[in-house]
Amino acid sequence: MQQEVHFDEIINRYRSDPYDYVDIFAIHTGTVRFLVDEGSMIQGPSGAWKHIPGTALYEINRERNPKVITSQTNGQVASINKHLDGRFVEAGEKLLTIRHPLKKKEIIEAILQEVLYLFPAPERARYYFAMDIQSRINQKGARSVFIQPGDEVIIMSLMKRDTPVYYDGEPGIIHSVYFKPGESKNQGDPLFGVCAQEKLPLVQKIITRVKAEWE
Amino acid sequence: MGVGSTSEIRATSELCLAVREYLRSSEQAVRAATFPEETIARILRYGEPVASRIERYHRLDRCMDRLRQLIREEEEQGRVLPAGTVVQAGRLDRATGRFRRDWYAPAGGIWLAMAWPDILLPFFARLVPFAVGLACCETVRQYGVPAWLKWVNDIHVQGKKIGGILCTTETGLRGDRYYLLGIGLNANNSSFPDALRDRATSLAAETGQEVDLGRVLVCLLAKLSWNMGLLLHEEANALERNGRQGPFSAPLLLQQWSRLSDTVGRRVAYGFNVEEEILYEGVAEGVDDQGGLQLRLDDGRLVTEVSGELIYRSGG
Repeated sequence: MQQEVHFDEIINRYRSDPYDYVDIFAIHTGTVRFLVDEGSMIQGPSGAWKHIPGTALYEINRERNPKVITSQTNGQVASINKHLDGRFVEAGEKLLTIRHPLKKKEIIEAILQEVLYLFPAPERARYYFAMDIQSRINQKGARSVFIQPGDEVIIMSLMKRDTPVYYDGEPGIIHSVYFKPGESKNQGDPLFGVCAQEKLPLVQKIITRVKAEWE
Repeated sequence: MGVGSTSEIRATSELCLAVREYLRSSEQAVRAATFPEETIARILRYGEPVASRIERYHRLDRCMDRLRQLIREEEEQGRVLPAGTVVQAGRLDRATGRFRRDWYAPAGGIWLAMAWPDILLPFFARLVPFAVGLACCETVRQYGVPAWLKWVNDIHVQGKKIGGILCTTETGLRGDRYYLLGIGLNANNSSFPDALRDRATSLAAETGQEVDLGRVLVCLLAKLSWNMGLLLHEEANALERNGRQGPFSAPLLLQQWSRLSDTVGRRVAYGFNVEEEILYEGVAEGVDDQGGLQLRLDDGRLVTEVSGELIYRSGG
């Protein structure tokens, strides 16, 4: 019952404000020059391998080494700290916020990410499932694969050195996979989400309801 | 079949001594052209653990399996496997490369694996495969064979593979991590299965004569000692300069690697497992200060890859 209330709360939150607000921070110290204005529409990376950068957001210049920072998402510039334009900023200073309109799939994913245990990429590297896990996924599908702490789940490939990565989260089934075998992921990006078996019916309910109710 | 016999054990200790002697005489002299005496001494000290313990076998399934067994055995005794422990075999019966590809390892080649504890900072740990590839390439060149490194550490002679590296990480029962560094070098094994005939070569095929396998092994272990020492020296330097927060760099190792690599300037096909799937093509434009390969795509974009494999499409 409590789960149901929580679930409704989450759904209503997305219904009243179906946007994600992405804050953009200075990547390092330097002098900032904005390349967009408040209200500007912006694009995320595109191309077959997402290799075409998104809209240029700002330029940061440190010791005559200018760097243009591009958007990782699409949407509209919701706010911008214009007073920082042309000023020297510290690393991590908030520069602007992008309002990103969520699609149905993203809403499901966002809700799931609140419910699942997310296993993060330890480093920027390419990842694939450990052979045993992959063969179980191939045989029965990821959602039939139960994992628990200490299991070798992932192989991290960095400069052609393969390192097994051990699972350290709550026991459960692999519900969502956020990478393709051999895909490059940044440090901290979720690789997969695990759902405790007792939470599974709730998770399935969330998906069904969002799919049914969201236009 | 193990180290069992007395003659085998004697050969092993003689090999350790021969590596030290090679480092003192040949290696020190070669490096004097590039490095100051004090730096050489420091690098040699850092590389000293390499081949401090060697196990030699006539035949094994896989050298890495024996290293894993040694790690377990040491842990059961409450100890850790010494850094630089090497397992070498005259031939391997069940050798595999990356992605479980078959690796042909008959008698006449150099087949070994070395364990190194995971004590490096992550920045430097990622450069271990570069150090190992460099050692292997330098060994081949010692025989007058113009070998080159294809990013990260494929060793080839005019497009034919002469050596290969397999780097993995092993975690012991108590959580200690080791890099397992496997090296295969075609030395006197000159005949290859049909599938490899046009793609592989050996020292004997390139020089037109058989080589002394013992000497090749000594040379390889000495080069490995030098290059692992160089990596540790770079780490120590960076820590002295900037502390644990960095920024880090390993300019000496990457300069040495770049000198022996023919990747930059080439048009290449790139893939994580390139034999299975080519993800895209581009021109290798450079290697960044973390070893990442910078590829210029046809639409002008620059992509940096931190893992994966290449097929050369054209010369430089």
